[in-house]
Amino acid sequence: MSTTHKTLPSPKSPVPSKPWRGRKLKMWRDAFLLIAPFFLLYFLFFLFPTIRAIQLSFTDAPLVGQGNFIGLENYQKLLNSKDFWRALRNTGYFVLLTVVPNTAVGLIFALMVVRLNRLRSIVLSAFFLPNMLTVSVVTLIWQWILDSRFGIVNEIASMISGQEIHYSIFRDPNWAMVAIAFITIWWTVGFNMLLFIAGLQGISKEYYEAAQIDGATGSQIFWRITWPLLWPVTSLVLTLQLIAQFKIFDQIWLLTRGGPFKRTMPMLQLVYQEAFQEFKGGYASAIAMVLFLIILIASLVQYRLLRTGSR
Amino acid sequence: MFRKLSIALALILISAVYAQTTVTWWDFLGGGDGIRMKKLIDDFNASHDDIKIDGTTLEWGPSYYTKVQTSAAVGEQPDIMTYHLSRYTLAIPTGVLRPFSEEELASVGLSTSDYNAAAMQAATGSDGQIYGVPLDIHAIVLYYNKEILGAAGLLDDNGHPNFTSSLEDFNAGMEKIKAAGSIPLAYPGDNGTTWRVAYSMIGQQGAQLLDENNKVAAIEELTNAVSAIRGWMDNGLGTPNTEYPAAIALFTSGEASMMLNGVWEVPTMVDLAAKGELFDWGAVEIPTWYAEPATWADSHAFAIPNSSAKPISDEKLAAVLEVIAWMSKNSLFWATAGHIPAYSPVTDSDDYKAMEPNATYAVLGEHAFFDPKSNLAGAAGSPLYDAVAQYLMPAVNGQLSVDEAIEMFVEDIDSQ
Amino acid sequence: MKRFSLSSLVGTVFTLIMAGIWIFPIYWAVVTSLKNEEDVLTTPPEWLPRPLSFQAYSFVILKSPILRWYLNSAIVSLGTTFLVILLCMMCAYALSQLDFPGKNFLYWLLLAGFMIPGQALIVPLYQLVASQLKSVFPFIGSNTYLGMILPQVISVIVIIVYKQFFDAVPRELRDSAAIDGAGSFRILFNIYLPINWGITWALAIVTFIGVWNSFFWPFLITTKTDMMTIPVGITQTQDAFGVRYARTMATAILAGLPVVAFYLIFQRRVTEGIMMTAGLKG
Repeated sequence: MSTTHKTLPSPKSPVPSKPWRGRKLKMWRDAFLLIAPFFLLYFLFFLFPTIRAIQLSFTDAPLVGQGNFIGLENYQKLLNSKDFWRALRNTGYFVLLTVVPNTAVGLIFALMVVRLNRLRSIVLSAFFLPNMLTVSVVTLIWQWILDSRFGIVNEIASMISGQEIHYSIFRDPNWAMVAIAFITIWWTVGFNMLLFIAGLQGISKEYYEAAQIDGATGSQIFWRITWPLLWPVTSLVLTLQLIAQFKIFDQIWLLTRGGPFKRTMPMLQLVYQEAFQEFKGGYASAIAMVLFLIILIASLVQYRLLRTGSR
Repeated sequence: MFRKLSIALALILISAVYAQTTVTWWDFLGGGDGIRMKKLIDDFNASHDDIKIDGTTLEWGPSYYTKVQTSAAVGEQPDIMTYHLSRYTLAIPTGVLRPFSEEELASVGLSTSDYNAAAMQAATGSDGQIYGVPLDIHAIVLYYNKEILGAAGLLDDNGHPNFTSSLEDFNAGMEKIKAAGSIPLAYPGDNGTTWRVAYSMIGQQGAQLLDENNKVAAIEELTNAVSAIRGWMDNGLGTPNTEYPAAIALFTSGEASMMLNGVWEVPTMVDLAAKGELFDWGAVEIPTWYAEPATWADSHAFAIPNSSAKPISDEKLAAVLEVIAWMSKNSLFWATAGHIPAYSPVTDSDDYKAMEPNATYAVLGEHAFFDPKSNLAGAAGSPLYDAVAQYLMPAVNGQLSVDEAIEMFVEDIDSQ
Repeated sequence: MKRFSLSSLVGTVFTLIMAGIWIFPIYWAVVTSLKNEEDVLTTPPEWLPRPLSFQAYSFVILKSPILRWYLNSAIVSLGTTFLVILLCMMCAYALSQLDFPGKNFLYWLLLAGFMIPGQALIVPLYQLVASQLKSVFPFIGSNTYLGMILPQVISVIVIIVYKQFFDAVPRELRDSAAIDGAGSFRILFNIYLPINWGITWALAIVTFIGVWNSFFWPFLITTKTDMMTIPVGITQTQDAFGVRYARTMATAILAGLPVVAFYLIFQRRVTEGIMMTAGLKG
């Protein structure tokens, strides 16, 4: 910017400097015009439905319509519902199976990728490509891979063991959730990996050079340098994962519909079924509110834990 | 300005000459069903200048009925839709179906007495009103490989299986097939098949699944049924944990010699046979495993969604009635999809009586055992269907003991 | 030094094996889709598509309106991406560079949006779009592009990323332009946007992919075959009839192909975009 230009009066503003008040008003007007389009949509499509959902949770509304105010009845019904506790337990189990493993695998893959040179972009693509697929494509592929009769995994297992194996993991009450968790990691770990790569690249080379001169071993370098310096990224990944995995629904709905005997039924499936199959909009909204509350509390607890972890 | 006006005028004139009513149509018919229904719709449009059907096929399953419900609530519903009669007791109280009057049907030359009585009865609400016009009756049948069964001496003079008069008989026949080195029965391990087979078995024992209070009444009969199916799996006669398409592949590839499945798979067999890629096959009414013959059956019906937001206009109603009448009278072609037409003049015709394999299993129409008239029942997403998926499916396939499953099933249904 | 390179070789081999395992399901889906339906079920499995067949693809392309679904997906994805970038950038600029009353409150309101599961709001959202709004604006509603696009425009994360990048722009740039009399819009589009093209592209690409893959909302709001997007449409070709493994896999591959191609072409930008969107502190 040329400083001479600054002192010349601009042709468009005959008055070099507006009164203070006028400028402030102009700024407010600009700010309003800038934020209005987005916030209009935000109020309409987010805040309004949120307030409606809270309100609906105190009514006996059907799927579409107002319903009557019934106080805390939905919440009472919820606490006495076996399915609610079952769904809560299943969701917790899924969170347990995914949050830390997905973070750990992401970190391992990132460490594997950053040390490569020529093969780097190929390997990175291999780990990241599943992330580009929509959920229904992911489940179609895995249903085929793990099909009990013609799936390739059973074929390979049969070839190795020498006897016919027709195992259906999605029907196994003990392993179905593990399979869903694994597929979720397969699908989404590429994202975490990229975050870790970004974090690893942000660590100055000097630390490693100094450590090598001191003759530190690989594991010493990792635990003394990489791990602590990467902690901000790690805690970010853990936080994003926690919130995302509590919202589990799509994969389960497409793979097991919550079965066998409701062993994989998550909270959001309950919301979906109550709203769109049983047409109980009010009750479904109450479940959704409880889920929101749980996510909020879990995030706050984790935030505190991660803060102490960084110390 | 003048040009615009004259175009507008011309358009008005043209539309007056061809006052065409567009009928929005939804169905859930895929595969062989879908191809045949599309042909029927095309034929209808070709033969009618005044009515045009604008058809949309949506995914079969719970989402279809959700969509009907939500769209009717906001006035976005179709003018006509296909609907499972098994869902009527569940659907009528929600007000999603618009009743037909006798006069409306008579205006296009239809009468309730022209239809299969059981299906028409299922389309009638407890208030005596008619909420739909049945198109067909569909059921499960026993598909079989004539070459394998013939070689094992298991066919009678008509080429039908000769071991279908009791459970013991059936099991003994299957043991023979197994000894001959073939998988006896391809059994699709999904919730639909499990419901259809187990429910048929309850009917064959002369029982009703639910009592008038919507509680499970036929606990013993249900236990017998689930144990029998589980027995096939445990004894290596069936195919546990097999997904729906895999079961068909096992049968059509000749690996399995029989299959329990719906009549809607008839087109699959017919098409393969036409290409010369299938063995000599047949389809018969399911075995009488217990005291009396009974076969689970359901029906596709035509219904008009009821919407207070945007009720159907008189003009559209007239067009919809014309569509229903035409489809009923031309439902012989629909029978090539394996179904039994619900319109009696068609099933009484000689053309239909000569149609195979429909003619062979036509007798099951007399033994049709429809879903319980309960708001818990209904194809594609109902409390009963879901409970079968959660508890009976694992019991049949070996993840849960039969007794535990029945206990959970009863508790789930009785608490609804 | 010798020991180091040996362990490095072992590490590389292990990495390659893992990458192979990771990509195998996609490979196997492609191989299946390129076989004849009857060749899919051979035992032992045939590892390459032999004989090579495009039967399944020609069936899906000719027998389903998949080309129309591609068009719908393209319109919805591009439209949403354009609006997300434009509106979020404007909003972020105001939050980052201007002072006005209620600014902090609005910012916190945005952050709250993170926590609420979108699926929990579908009941009121559906009522709003399909019924309440439609009665006022007929061009919003079920089976409309705007009905699909507008609810997807509220992408809080894009605002937060933009805000961080705008915060980092030296203040002198803005001040000198302001003294020249340039309004906020001109400063944004003539100065802030040009120096942030990199992040704009990255955010656009990430948004595009996300919208292309979104399923639940377009699924709820469309009832006409002609208006479905790819992820919704392909579920309609899934029917419970016959044997159709090759066809199912061909459908899956066709659905995934545009985004995968997109990724392979813009690989660096996609990677950058994701790294940048995560540049924020949790």
